[in-house]
Amino acid sequence: MAQEKGLLIDIKRCIGCLGCETACKQLHGFGTDPEPTLSDTAFTVVEARGDKFVRKLCMHCEDPACASACPVEAISKTRLGPVVYNADKCIGCRYCMLACPYQVPRYQWTKLAPFVKKCDMCVDRIKAGKSTACAEACPVQATIFGNRDALINEAWSRIRSDSSYVPHIYGVEELGGGSVLFVSDVPFEKLGFKPAPTGNQPMPTLTSSALGDSPKVVIMGGTILSALYWVTQRRREVALAEAEEKTVINKIKSERS
Amino acid sequence: MFARIKSEITLWRTIVAIILVTGLYATYIRFFEGFRASTNLSDQMPWGLWVGLGTLCGVGLSAAGFGISAAVYLLGMERYRPILRASILISFLGYLTVCVGYLYEIGLPWRFWHPIVMWNHRSVLFDVCVCIMTYTTVLTFEFAPAVIEKLPWKNLRETVLHYHHKILIGVVLAGVLLSSMHQSFLGGLYLIARGKLHPLWYSPYMHAMFYLSAIPAGLALTVMAIYLCMRSLNVRVDFSILSDCGRMIQLLLIVFAFFKLLDLIGNQALGYAFQFTNEAGYFWLEVLLFLAIPITLLSFESVRGNPERLYWACAFVVAGFMVDRLNVSINALQTAMGTHYVPKWSELASSVLVIAAGVMAFRYAVIYLDILPKAAPKPVTRWIGNAGLAAQA
Repeated sequence: MAQEKGLLIDIKRCIGCLGCETACKQLHGFGTDPEPTLSDTAFTVVEARGDKFVRKLCMHCEDPACASACPVEAISKTRLGPVVYNADKCIGCRYCMLACPYQVPRYQWTKLAPFVKKCDMCVDRIKAGKSTACAEACPVQATIFGNRDALINEAWSRIRSDSSYVPHIYGVEELGGGSVLFVSDVPFEKLGFKPAPTGNQPMPTLTSSALGDSPKVVIMGGTILSALYWVTQRRREVALAEAEEKTVINKIKSERS
Repeated sequence: MFARIKSEITLWRTIVAIILVTGLYATYIRFFEGFRASTNLSDQMPWGLWVGLGTLCGVGLSAAGFGISAAVYLLGMERYRPILRASILISFLGYLTVCVGYLYEIGLPWRFWHPIVMWNHRSVLFDVCVCIMTYTTVLTFEFAPAVIEKLPWKNLRETVLHYHHKILIGVVLAGVLLSSMHQSFLGGLYLIARGKLHPLWYSPYMHAMFYLSAIPAGLALTVMAIYLCMRSLNVRVDFSILSDCGRMIQLLLIVFAFFKLLDLIGNQALGYAFQFTNEAGYFWLEVLLFLAIPITLLSFESVRGNPERLYWACAFVVAGFMVDRLNVSINALQTAMGTHYVPKWSELASSVLVIAAGVMAFRYAVIYLDILPKAAPKPVTRWIGNAGLAAQA
């Protein structure tokens, strides 16, 4: 089985040259003008936070909220790591956009047949044994591509060898972890990393309990309703029988008198 | 000639004409120019008025059908049978508007059938889609006799109604379960938006809150519709039934208020209601319209016993319910998404068109089918009455 791939992004090393952003745009045939935020023509952007630069891109979660939300299973996590989007299945409901805790998926609002757009971790290149376009373009190895396990080891060795790093790898455990990992010399919360809404639990656990209860509710509800209906019917039968009895008795009485 | 045309132009006809023209134009923009031209939706606000008003309010306000059919068919509350058909019709038309709205909402409407064959059992939206499709079928079945009994072929009519009656209870039971499920799943849709939805509305029990609030709102809409039929379409319904509905609505609202309070305390979110924020303002508007005013009004015998006052009390319930659903779907998300969304005129116009079509269909169904007991027009009554007396003699 192929090992899970990933990206390690080192905020300390990043010099903000936008090489990754441009390489991504070139690969997808978009114009090379930099954009301020993610869009349907910018799958990764480099945001300035103080004197630091933070890349935004799909985090390729292990158990993605978007994939659990999609009603037609158009989004799925591959064994290789990338979270990929199947445009042939998509109906354009945009629930993935509401579900994503990182607000990554973008929509082609101007098109008449719009699709969802997001980073696919260059899945075709990975399958061909190559690295992602962004990692290849990075001149200072601030973004590196490799096996996820190896990247975690590399991240720890960088943290150990340089005490200015925050001793934490963002993306290993947050929301159940993902294929994109960050290390930094500035605390993550100061760089716009929001607190994970479910801690280290994957987001789909939020809905799975409610959905998991539904068979029980249906069985119980069905039984109770059937029982109530049976009682109703029985009472009606009894009432009818009693009324009949009464009329018969009345008839006999009137005949006797 | 000109005077005759002038007399045909009434206020309501003008309004209908405006709704029709603007709605059709908005529909044209939606399907031929796309989302950017027809909506103010954005990557920060992917769901807007169509989901909030069309789907959440549309399904919620159609909740009376399953409530009343459960009461009459399963619990034997025969007292409510006169308003059973009307409530099923409201639900049926409500769900049809939701289905039409679905075509506006999704980006690739020609793929509307995908959820039928491509399943994702982990998705709340998939469950909502399947439940709504199935329940719309169930409602079609429950409503069908009203149309079938008007068919001119006697044998066909009787055969169909005979078999219809045989499986009706099973279908009603399935319908009650289905609609209970997706009324709550609509709230469940937002469970995954933790961290985005404002804490005054986000709760791990959102699905239960949606269920509890939908039933009184659906009943209130039914009471309003029947009152309007009584006023303008010569319908005669025993008013004490509606009066009892008013009492029931009040009870259900108190139950909802109780659980909402428990929920807020449980999530430690009550404090947010007393902050000076937009969200707190929207929250109190919802509490006022949906809970405080109607619960107070409906506790007066003079309100419950008076058709017009009951109508207005129910109007507060419906308006408050709509505020609640729009709060969840739009207002509660804006801060976290870092955006300010105001629907474009065309979003509103197309939603109003679909709703207006539902209302018109309801009106004509009540006129031409046996939905509600009708008093025959007065002069005709006298004439038939005389003829009937003559025939009897």
